[in-house]
Amino acid sequence: MSADASDLSLVRRVQRGDKGAFDALVLKYQHKLVKLVMRYVRNPAEAEDIAQEAFIKAYRALPQFRGDSAFYTWLYRIAINTAKNAVVSRDRSPVEYDLDRSNTDESYDMQGRMKDSETPEGLVLTDEIRSTVNAAIDSLPEDLRTAIVLRELEGLSYEEIAAAMACPVGTVRSRIFRAREAIDRRLREVFEGGLGRAEELG
Amino acid sequence: MRSRIRSSERIGWLALALTLAGVASADEPAKWLERMNHALTTLNYDGTFAHWEGGKVEMLRIIHRLEDGTVSERLVSLDGSGREFVRTGPSLTCYLPDRHVVLVERTPAKVSLLSGFPAINEQTARFYDIKEVARMRFNRHSTHLITVMPRDEYRYGYRLWIDDSTAMPLKTQLCDAHGNVIEQIVFANLKIRPTIPDSAFRPAISTTGFQWLRNDSAALKETVTQSATVWNVDHLPPGFHMTVRAAQTMPGSTGPVDHLVFTDGLASVSVFVETHVVTTAGQAPVMESARVGSSYAFSRVVDGHKVTAVGEVPPQTVRFIADSVKAEKPSESAPPPATLGPLPGGPFAHARPPP
Amino acid sequence: MNEELDSQLSAMFDNELPAAECELLARRLSRDPDIKARWGRYAVIGAVIRAERGIALEGIVAGRVSAALSSEPALSVDALQPAGRRLQYRWWQPIAGAGLAAGVAAVSILWLRSQALPDGSQAVAPALVARTAALAAPAAQALRNAIAPAPDSFVVPPVSSQRTTMVVPATELADYVVAHSAFSWPVSRGNLLSALMVSEPGTSSTPARSDQPASGVQGNAIQNPK
Repeated sequence: MSADASDLSLVRRVQRGDKGAFDALVLKYQHKLVKLVMRYVRNPAEAEDIAQEAFIKAYRALPQFRGDSAFYTWLYRIAINTAKNAVVSRDRSPVEYDLDRSNTDESYDMQGRMKDSETPEGLVLTDEIRSTVNAAIDSLPEDLRTAIVLRELEGLSYEEIAAAMACPVGTVRSRIFRAREAIDRRLREVFEGGLGRAEELG
Repeated sequence: MRSRIRSSERIGWLALALTLAGVASADEPAKWLERMNHALTTLNYDGTFAHWEGGKVEMLRIIHRLEDGTVSERLVSLDGSGREFVRTGPSLTCYLPDRHVVLVERTPAKVSLLSGFPAINEQTARFYDIKEVARMRFNRHSTHLITVMPRDEYRYGYRLWIDDSTAMPLKTQLCDAHGNVIEQIVFANLKIRPTIPDSAFRPAISTTGFQWLRNDSAALKETVTQSATVWNVDHLPPGFHMTVRAAQTMPGSTGPVDHLVFTDGLASVSVFVETHVVTTAGQAPVMESARVGSSYAFSRVVDGHKVTAVGEVPPQTVRFIADSVKAEKPSESAPPPATLGPLPGGPFAHARPPP
Repeated sequence: MNEELDSQLSAMFDNELPAAECELLARRLSRDPDIKARWGRYAVIGAVIRAERGIALEGIVAGRVSAALSSEPALSVDALQPAGRRLQYRWWQPIAGAGLAAGVAAVSILWLRSQALPDGSQAVAPALVARTAALAAPAAQALRNAIAPAPDSFVVPPVSSQRTTMVVPATELADYVVAHSAFSWPVSRGNLLSALMVSEPGTSSTPARSDQPASGVQGNAIQNPK
């Protein structure tokens, strides 16, 4: 089973004319992309612009995507190039971030990421969402919480999580699903209560 | 280990060894343990870790350096007790500010941290099942999850998450024979540096008014020639053999202490034998046991001598060994040898030195 | 919303669904707004766990992209070549050289939320541990619990049914332990000295060469030694 089967099945649909499938890819990766771009530009609105531009570039370049690399890797490079170009074109000197190594000061933080530049005040657009999700995770049973955190924070595969939690892979899949369900129950209220933009798609 | 190699060369050797590691073989897991031991003893590093034991978690910092054959090490409690252990070469100084005591322990000069610890050999596999269970990503680092599971209840097991590129154990668990975790160390951050200055090893506390307890190395020479009794252990748990026989003094007392070390290739148990001092303070128990984390100690009195066994093994193992200590008449031919390191020829089934 | 489907959706989101099932689900995902919305919320959950900040979590980007694409022509491409082996990102650095760093996180529950530190600043997840030493005790304790709580997948055995023994009583035991530590293999030595470092203080501060047991140590006072 290719680890990328999920993204590829969506990519294939897009290549055959299904734009709705591209929505799913955007939904999945938009947060990561904006966060990535924020390493180049501090202004969140600008970062969103650049992310949007990157997604559109990716859509147009999709016919050339052959699946030699993972979709996200390919998308990631497009986003970096787009961000760098945007920065250059705005007359700033290009900034070199060693993103692959992530060790500007020779150390890793607890979560293995580059130490992010602090985001300016007033950037938190989603306190309600964050606190809803946080509260939901806090009240999860421990095995569910561990599973979802290992997956989302540490990026472990189901197999790796199964080894770490000493349980079968099927149990890992079930725990992660049930964790998401429990959180989503609360999160849905936030989305459907007012914003509901996600439902405007498709 | 040739102590004349500069530490930078030593690190280069390690890197070469790791790149040559390549093809997996049947004894690859054991090789990872050796690489890990090598990394822990020869690299210069500075890290913070969480130590979990008995339901409590403490944060500690470890700084370690090998330079010109000398090991420097500093372990600091980050939780306000102020305790520090500082090792410089053969001397380990324990600062216990909560008790206003400083313990200074000098190991005999010939004992080296680089080579004095147990060596994994073919026999070790008889008593431990050493496997690589998985490759796991530990925070963007590829690690080998190596498990070392004991085949009996005399020893502990280990789970080690060994970093693929540095061979440092980023996380370790100590377990009982059933795989239940008893103790755990997880690094929160870890930096490996080419050099570490001397200042990093100076303790951060003032010792004014503290009581200093040292073991008296001057008495050591005298001790060896005076020692009239040879102590031995006639029954050992399976797999254990004697690797060291030495004599020293303990901090705070000048009497001689015999020190025997037994190991199964991984776990080690020390036996200390000293003259038993009876005070008038009341009824003295003749057996005493205690534990430090997952290590256990057991003492008893034999023939007017106090025998104490301590090691990172389950309590029954320490007890077994302590109960088996016996005095012997010294042989005519040679004084007790201060042998260091694994004795040649593999483990002894019984721990008698050849007559 | 049926559970089997949702479970598949969760697995597909994690790239853990077999290829054949992906095809079917991709079709439904593309067409069904409810499923798509749920998929989007899965991404939100991940983003919050990673404490990604300053981003438009309301789907603003997705909406704009979708709108922008409405004027783009639909693509039409031949079947994709199958992807190769999963890319393993292998972090490798020469050890000799400008200094190597290995950062680690606890694989157990690392759930750090914003915590107000004594100096009033917000604790952002990065760099939190480096400041552990400066944290006030309650915050430090919460951090410690977050970093290394009881290993949840393994059972801690009950206290030995033998006599209960208390942790390191007197300096005397510490003598033996430090003398022994030189002969432990490095992993054990680390455990041993760490445990000694954090052990409960004993009753006396003088070297307890006496034979009175320090309080808390239940000596097994057998009168007839073996």
